[in-house]
Amino acid sequence: MADAEQGKRGSLSVVRSAVLGAEGAFETFVSITADGSVNAYNGHVDLGTGIRTALGQIVAEELDVSFARVVVILGDTAVVPNQGATIASETIQITAVPLRKAAAQARHFLIARAAERLELPVEDLTIEDGLIRGHDNRSISYGELIADETIRLELTDDVPVKDVSAYSIVGRSVPRVDLPAKATGEPVYVHDVRVPGMLHGRVVRPPYAGVDAGPFVGTSLIAVDEASVRDIPGLVAVVRIGDFVGVVAEREENAIKAAAQLKVTWKPGPALTDLSNIERALRANPSTPRQLIDKGDVDAAIAAAAKPMQRTYVWPYQMHGSIGPSCAVADYDSATIRVWSGTQNPHILRGDLALLIERPESEIELIRLEAAGCYGRNCADDVSADALLLSRAVGRPVRVQLTREQEHAWEPKGTAQLMDVNGGLNADGSVAGYDFSTRYPSNGAPTLALLLTGRIAPTPAVFEMGDRTAIPPYDYENLRVVANDMPPIVRASWLRGVSALPNTFAHECYIDELAAEAEVDPIEYRLRYLKDKRAIDLVNAVAERAGWTPRPVRQEPEPEGDIVRGRGFAYALYVHSKFPGYGAAWSAWIADVAVNKATGDVSVTRVVAGQDSGLMINPEGVRHQIEGNVIQSTSRALMEEVSFERGAVTAREWGAYPIIKFPELPKIDVLMLPRQDQPPLGVGESASVPSAAAIANAIYDATGVRFRELPFTPERIVKGLHGEQPAAALAPPPQPVQRNKWQNPFVKRGGILAGAAALCAAAIGIGAAVLPWRAIAPITRTDASVFSAATIARGKELAALGACAVCHTADNGVLNAGGRPLETPFGTIYATNITPDVATGIGAWSYPAFERAMREGIHRDGRHLYPAFPYTHFARASDADLQALYAYLIAQAPVRAETPPNALAFPFNLRPLLAGWNALFHQPDTFRPDPSKSEVWNRGAYLIEGLGHCSACHSPRNALGAEQQRAYLAGGFAEGWEAPALTSLSKAPIPWSENELYAYLRTGQSRLHGVAAGPMAPVVKELAALPDQDIRAMAVYLASFNEPADRPAHEALVAKLEAGTAVTGAASAGARTYQGACAVCHEVGGPPLFGSRPSLALNSNLHSDVPDNLIQVILHGIAKPAVTDLGYMPAFKDSMTDSQVAELVGFLRRQFAPGKPEWTGVAATVGRIRQTIAR
Amino acid sequence: MRLTVNGRNHDVDAAPDTALLYVLRNDLQLNGPKYGCGLGECGACAVLIDGVAARSCVIPIEGCANRDIVTLEGLGTRECPDPVQDAFIREQAAQCGYCLNGMIITTKALLARNATPSEQEVLEALRYNLCRCGAHIEIIRAAMRAAGHTLEARD
Repeated sequence: MADAEQGKRGSLSVVRSAVLGAEGAFETFVSITADGSVNAYNGHVDLGTGIRTALGQIVAEELDVSFARVVVILGDTAVVPNQGATIASETIQITAVPLRKAAAQARHFLIARAAERLELPVEDLTIEDGLIRGHDNRSISYGELIADETIRLELTDDVPVKDVSAYSIVGRSVPRVDLPAKATGEPVYVHDVRVPGMLHGRVVRPPYAGVDAGPFVGTSLIAVDEASVRDIPGLVAVVRIGDFVGVVAEREENAIKAAAQLKVTWKPGPALTDLSNIERALRANPSTPRQLIDKGDVDAAIAAAAKPMQRTYVWPYQMHGSIGPSCAVADYDSATIRVWSGTQNPHILRGDLALLIERPESEIELIRLEAAGCYGRNCADDVSADALLLSRAVGRPVRVQLTREQEHAWEPKGTAQLMDVNGGLNADGSVAGYDFSTRYPSNGAPTLALLLTGRIAPTPAVFEMGDRTAIPPYDYENLRVVANDMPPIVRASWLRGVSALPNTFAHECYIDELAAEAEVDPIEYRLRYLKDKRAIDLVNAVAERAGWTPRPVRQEPEPEGDIVRGRGFAYALYVHSKFPGYGAAWSAWIADVAVNKATGDVSVTRVVAGQDSGLMINPEGVRHQIEGNVIQSTSRALMEEVSFERGAVTAREWGAYPIIKFPELPKIDVLMLPRQDQPPLGVGESASVPSAAAIANAIYDATGVRFRELPFTPERIVKGLHGEQPAAALAPPPQPVQRNKWQNPFVKRGGILAGAAALCAAAIGIGAAVLPWRAIAPITRTDASVFSAATIARGKELAALGACAVCHTADNGVLNAGGRPLETPFGTIYATNITPDVATGIGAWSYPAFERAMREGIHRDGRHLYPAFPYTHFARASDADLQALYAYLIAQAPVRAETPPNALAFPFNLRPLLAGWNALFHQPDTFRPDPSKSEVWNRGAYLIEGLGHCSACHSPRNALGAEQQRAYLAGGFAEGWEAPALTSLSKAPIPWSENELYAYLRTGQSRLHGVAAGPMAPVVKELAALPDQDIRAMAVYLASFNEPADRPAHEALVAKLEAGTAVTGAASAGARTYQGACAVCHEVGGPPLFGSRPSLALNSNLHSDVPDNLIQVILHGIAKPAVTDLGYMPAFKDSMTDSQVAELVGFLRRQFAPGKPEWTGVAATVGRIRQTIAR
Repeated sequence: MRLTVNGRNHDVDAAPDTALLYVLRNDLQLNGPKYGCGLGECGACAVLIDGVAARSCVIPIEGCANRDIVTLEGLGTRECPDPVQDAFIREQAAQCGYCLNGMIITTKALLARNATPSEQEVLEALRYNLCRCGAHIEIIRAAMRAAGHTLEARD
């Protein structure tokens, strides 16, 4: 920069009177400051397509400055022109036009001024990076020409722009300007906005997930229980306006917790449209026909057709599926209301926000930042409004990010569409007539907060959006096209290709069917009806590139095992915007597929995608758009479909809505026609448009079967090929839970309770005979200093062995201070405070009182303790061990904590009955070693039978809750979890062995069985305090209840089980959920991630008789593993419905325990376990 | 809680069950790891923990004590990028870029255990990292470039 420019403050801007706004308001397109920097303003935004870079190239080119000098500003309502929403691939084609002219106009002005200054004719001047030079080598820069002046030029329409032949920046590939920042973690996205004093908000959405029209919208909330979140630290506010509910907290994780925990009562769900059959739903949706063209005599032509053909094509609801859930920050309290947003349409959103908060638009500044790609319209607008409402409520800046589940459920969907084609062939193989009718539910999707708060009525609006590319590109003699405009069924917005993609699916499949019937090569057949020269050139170029061989008659492919291969063609000129609209880039596909006829799996192996984009501003950017469209639309064609239950969206994570993964990618060969002499065309969507038809045509070529409904899932293909529904796709009907008798103590069952009551009553007599128990006098607290450090340390180990803290510590409570509720079939028992607090703990307990409790189950005051406290085991402990344990407990810091009263039903609340119970079931003997066994075995037996009390959970119990001695360690139930058999009765495919038991107890994981979860995780965590030899002794003892280990046989079985159960396909909803949600951490051989990688084929829970543990872990995850090295499992309860979990569980059982019978009543079990609290 | 992130110790005042992701983004003001799904499904939140790829949205900070955490920022900067970052920039391996963090971190973790992966190994390593824009082709090229493979020029 020349020194002369330093300190100058002038600028040159090219402006236009604002369409909206105050008198004299104007919009700036280009401004050049005296320091030579250039700002370019565009009302559109970069949705990840790289238009920021392309627009910079255009401005640099027309202004004759280097690309690096241009800064492109997009979407900030305070400074950019209002150019509407970023849609329809029109940024380069439409909104860049005034920008280009503005840059050209500035150049003309500056060069004219330079000519004056240098006293040379314009023709004698050259410009290089903003420096104008005469032939005499004198020069002057743009900055010097501007100096201190403020120059404002009114944009003129007829300004001459550069000839393409003169381009040096446009038309060359330029690296994206945004990537270095993105690749190194600089703040780029709206998600990265941090404003001083910013709080975090989350919203709670209504139950009518994804539906935004109907009288229930905005009127369904009954109550919000603020008390339910009172314990959340740093909670600032709970906000409720109509059906809008939000929470604000100081910290993000607490806002998340509050939103999940907030008790909200909604009115019963409204009856929503049944979407299990899209075709039926769309036919039933009221519509208004709108004729777009009627040429020739269609009815007569079809009536006279030699071969009439009537076809229906169905497109499902699909998602934009942005990888980053939408986010926004709003600051209501500042002088200007500011909203940082990832919106696609800043000015339109600003209008919505003004309406929402009843303030003038001029008081709101909307700052657009980058967001995750959206390919249409996601929840970016919704979350901006949410943030603004929450900020207004608390008077501080608030950042809101939607959850994945909310983004999935509430994003305006790419709508379903139904296309009917009536037509046929004449005897000569020509097209008789083409009568096309399309049904497209509308896609207005008002900003959600406007609806939820009742600011606007939830009346469904009808838009004319189904007509994109509704007229086929072929010159049919008799042609009629009708768009049936209809209101939305599900909240919807435009999604890449809008209605053009489904319409083209029908056009291009149908012409393929015509060609097949006429026995003409499908490309040749198309060319007979294609009159557009550029289209013909493109079709020929793509056919040549792909090595297309004419196929007038389908040849049955040579099968490779179950695999057949095929090849299909499709072409489209994407005609978009208001009808009749205009064309973006031309596109044609040749897709190669491989179809597995046995499993129904379709892979697209290769795509040749040709495109005529006119002038390509940034050819590499165009290539990326083509590739991106090919990949995304292949994904849409093969696997994407929104799922619904009772009309509401249920796909809330990537397992329920899979998208294509790296190994599934086709090879892509991009052919870009050189058309640099032609005007630039939109390239953001065109290459998607032929996708589904090309793939469908290829599947036909491979299999001889036409598929007219997306997506081409394995189930659909198998059904199409074999005419049957694969059993795997059907969820078993819910059936009542059946349990083995011995499981009953921890399952609430009326019959058992009645029986128990009767037995208890009978026991009263026995009990009465041995009463009464006396109280042992309280003591002032024992001085712990009388115990040696070694004794206390030993006691600590024993407390760990007994896992005292596991029951005697409440969630988030103080260690051993009690208060944990223990759910039993007899009612809720609260574990007591075993810290040495005199008033509320055991501080007043002498050792004799402690010992009596441990051995006989009697409280110091003489009351009976419930056998939920396993004194039946503790009685086995040696005196020395009980004394050490006492020493440890007494040496703890006392904690004052009252234990809540138990909530037990009659007669279980009568403690004296327990005397009878003890007489029946309790033998207060200390452990007696078995001289026939080894010392280590006896040590293990002592630990396990005594303080370890393993069989308290792992043995079945009788109707009165006593362990069944004859079924020792044969498996039981505790806290809603199955405690599996530890003996040879184990259901695990590989028997327990000493080494695996040791590994499990020591590390929390056995490779051959799984990881400790549920109530077992804290037990293993406690066992960490025990020395290795004690763990080894426990393993030796437990192993003795199993067959001797045969390691080579086990290893062989592992290999066989894991190889035999590897998941290769996704032929059911459950399988897809596994692939999307589980496989990342569980598929054998997958990439290493932090934590363990439990093999499901070997996992005990998959092979059990009951699905409870599997369901527990899916719903509640593993938040507190035995050791952190094991890693964590997320809880899926808020991301999956009961039936989704049931489908997943059914799949896991079939896949990983193929020899075992299906579980029954899974859905009901899921519903029951969902109500339990996570352990 | 003390966390070691990008070679520096940070004392963090957050509940032990707080997901690492929120502490990295809010307390440490890092932008690399991003919230994508909260379930470990998509990979946008990836970081390295003791050199292994980890999904920070499902790992509470209590599981991160005495571990070495590295985020995208810890690999390199715009001026001095890590070779993997550099490869991604050179191959223009992003469209919106929201998944880019996970792609780079996962590639970094792959190369740490396998310095010369084949293309098939790259595909499998990235299987559980989702990209919605369809930048996969460039991402694969970037990973291959970072692994030292010579890439075919593109026409």
